[in-house]
Amino acid sequence: MNSDEIAELIVTQGEKLGASDVSAIVVEENKRMLRFSNNSITVLQAWNTITPMIYLSLGPKRTGSIVEDPTPEAITSTMESLVKTVRLMKPGDVDSRLPQGPFGYHSIQDNYDPRVSSSTDKLTGAVETSINSAMNAGAKRVSGVLVATEWNRTLRTSTGSKGREKGTLLELTVRAFVDADSSGQGVSCSTTFQDFSPELAGKEAGEIAKLAANPVEGTEGIYRTVLGPSIMANLLNTAAVSTSAHAVEVGMSYFTDKVGQNVASDKFNLTDDQQLPAGPGSHAFDDEGFPTKPTPIIQNGTLKTLLHSSYTAKKFNAQLTGHGYYSGTSGIVPSPSNLIVKPGDYSKKELFEELGDGLYITNNWYTRFQNYNTGDFSTICRDGIFRISKGELSNPVKGLRISDNMLRILQSIEAVSKELLWVKWWEVDIPILLSHFLVDKVRVTKSRK
Amino acid sequence: MEDLADIVVRKGLQLGASYVEARIQSDIENTYSLKNGVPDTFQLSRTVGIGVRILVNGTLGFASTDKLTKDSVYDVVKLAYNMAHSSSHLVKRPVRLSPEKTIQTSWETKAASSPENVSPEEKFNLLFEIERMLDPREVHVDLPSRYITFSHETEEKFFVNSEGTKIHGKTPRISLWFFLTASKPGKGTLQRWMSVGESRGWEAVEEWNLPKLVSNEAKVLGKVLDEGIAPPKDEINLVLGSEVVGIICHESCGHPQEADRILGREAAQAGESYVKPDMIGTRIGTEHVTVVDDPTLSKSFGYYMYDDEGVEAHERVLIDKGVISNFLQNRETAADLETKSNGSARAVAYSREPMIRMANTYMKPGDYDHEELFEDVNSGVYIKTFMEWNIDDRRFNQRYVGLEAYLIRNGEVDKPVRNPILEVTTPSLYGSVDAVSKTVDFQSATCGKGDPQQGAPVWTGGPEIGLRKLRLGGLDS
Repeated sequence: MNSDEIAELIVTQGEKLGASDVSAIVVEENKRMLRFSNNSITVLQAWNTITPMIYLSLGPKRTGSIVEDPTPEAITSTMESLVKTVRLMKPGDVDSRLPQGPFGYHSIQDNYDPRVSSSTDKLTGAVETSINSAMNAGAKRVSGVLVATEWNRTLRTSTGSKGREKGTLLELTVRAFVDADSSGQGVSCSTTFQDFSPELAGKEAGEIAKLAANPVEGTEGIYRTVLGPSIMANLLNTAAVSTSAHAVEVGMSYFTDKVGQNVASDKFNLTDDQQLPAGPGSHAFDDEGFPTKPTPIIQNGTLKTLLHSSYTAKKFNAQLTGHGYYSGTSGIVPSPSNLIVKPGDYSKKELFEELGDGLYITNNWYTRFQNYNTGDFSTICRDGIFRISKGELSNPVKGLRISDNMLRILQSIEAVSKELLWVKWWEVDIPILLSHFLVDKVRVTKSRK
Repeated sequence: MEDLADIVVRKGLQLGASYVEARIQSDIENTYSLKNGVPDTFQLSRTVGIGVRILVNGTLGFASTDKLTKDSVYDVVKLAYNMAHSSSHLVKRPVRLSPEKTIQTSWETKAASSPENVSPEEKFNLLFEIERMLDPREVHVDLPSRYITFSHETEEKFFVNSEGTKIHGKTPRISLWFFLTASKPGKGTLQRWMSVGESRGWEAVEEWNLPKLVSNEAKVLGKVLDEGIAPPKDEINLVLGSEVVGIICHESCGHPQEADRILGREAAQAGESYVKPDMIGTRIGTEHVTVVDDPTLSKSFGYYMYDDEGVEAHERVLIDKGVISNFLQNRETAADLETKSNGSARAVAYSREPMIRMANTYMKPGDYDHEELFEDVNSGVYIKTFMEWNIDDRRFNQRYVGLEAYLIRNGEVDKPVRNPILEVTTPSLYGSVDAVSKTVDFQSATCGKGDPQQGAPVWTGGPEIGLRKLRLGGLDS
């Protein structure tokens, strides 16, 4: 069966079993991954999959399934199990309905490049280019990963929505090392080869690694900082996920009861623009069939809206935002998809000058919250960390951690630079277009012993 | 269906591969959720397919498909072969696999009471019973958010390789995860997540007494909110509870002693390690510290008998009386380091390559009674559980922020302490251990590693331990 037939089967079967609403999303993926370390390919991986995702409701009872077994028998028996179980459930709190279609969808421009899935040579060439570029910039060894994906997404709902879209995506992470303590990362993420820059990603990684050589132990304290695109991408992913109404419901949001309030500096603007041409996370419709549109989340520091699916919109008495996406064992929940930060007027150099004395932190990993509700968290600074003295890059440091509060960080944004970069990598799930940030009074700690 | 695996191996060898393996794997998981007392969605995840790994001119290729037809698996083998073949020129360090014994066997962990035979109503009733025990009149604290999920799954694998190994394995797993937010006027909020999981059936649920366990956690949140005071800033002695010791052993012993990290294979993702290949025999802690990883622990969440390269599993001693003694190895790293695999390769789905993973990592017990750990502590802090934690990507600088924690005064547990922060290096931490209790406890967790990410079921655990002369961290407000 092809994706259309699978989607049709799901909706027909759901209706036959007595479901009030059914949605079928079938994702076909043709994905290649080239992983490398110590300048050498370590493994090549490939996936050819068809994954049906099923949502169905019986009045205020909701259920769903991901079926990586796209046979009619597996789909039918799974749906019978779903309905059998959901009939025994006590009702949920809201009798939400899928949005009534049909809808017209705007196709996303510039998000498909046939060469992404057809040319292994271009992919191996990109890996070679990135390694050479990092080495030429001063690296001693280079690791990384290149992922090339061609995807097709087919939608059917029992409420008349029907859609099909396709896209491609290239994601490259390059991590360059001068020694174990001195590393740098560069990334490139784009929907086509035209905007893909393995050379620049390698160069960025190599240059940071070289500058980070021979770091001294950092000192804990409260710093004016410039935070690079990679670390801000990670932190702002947590902010965007916090605007999901599902996160608010389960206590995993630091934006609870804050719609309409100032949650960030007036210099900060965050939009989820799923209609953006060539957006790595752009989609014409969500998994409930609702058409997407640009959604301003934070404007001039004010939280404008939470993100909603049909269930949370009904529960919160809010408008649909087109963010109902399948999310593992949580079913369809509101999720951001293609984040954009409005750039400022500064160059990176001017941002350093504006900072004066402080720290430049390029990347991070392992962000964890002590309290999602308050936003108290810490994250490890990774790759190049530098002192900034009198507006100039100074010596590299190591061993530091940001131990702060996300609301305080958002409110302490003083300036944003103008050059933009798409970031999506192992620590950043939701692609985000952003630049460098000047953030005041960032709390930095380190091991006491 | 198992014929398809044989077809894959034959086809791969015909194409010219020096090694081929096929793994048909199915994972079926049922998840029941209660959100703030109301049933959330019931989810059924069904994942079935074949993963193929192939070695061509020292280049490793992996491909997978969920289309289990002869044509599809042919295509997958060709895809894995062609990718590996066409990229061989970029391989500077050819992959080799350590020679290992061939095995033909079948193993199964049987559930005494299959969750499939328990009605969905009973499973939801378990969640409602927990919810009833979270009534503010019972736990003496408001819980504005409560998210509780119960899951059971069955994982089944059929592994074949071109060396003649054929292994069929089957494991049931069952788990509960909850996330609570507690609030008191004027005291703010505290949050707690926790999971309980085993490789068993419904009989585990009948033993766990989950309503009591979850409500006790809620009561603790109320007590810490009500009575919690700021932690001391001076140099003090610490006692760490089993939950904290478990995460420490996982993060700063298990991960840095994964040989793939040591050799740099995970550098662009989960990072490398402060441990170098020549550090076997290096002292990293006191003689009280022995840390092992054991996939064969009965009932454990990370249980398996044979790994996903067909190697028999057994206990691995990672730190022996304070000295680094072994790394976790798969066949690739074992060949590089001229040793044998110790059965550490696991894949969480048909679509994932096998890679080095921990199973059940814990510190071995010592000879102290619980009370003896506190006896000579005049001024200290007892950190029983944690919420926030992280560690750098070389596994050297780590942080654990306590949730249930108490002052220790004159050998006695005293008032609750709010958010004590232990921020410390790995050698300082293991080098400060001077007492280890007799009893060991375990917690279930999902360990993240790999690209694409693979969340592997594990147990973390250990006894309670005493640490000497450490300073709690955190900046003054």
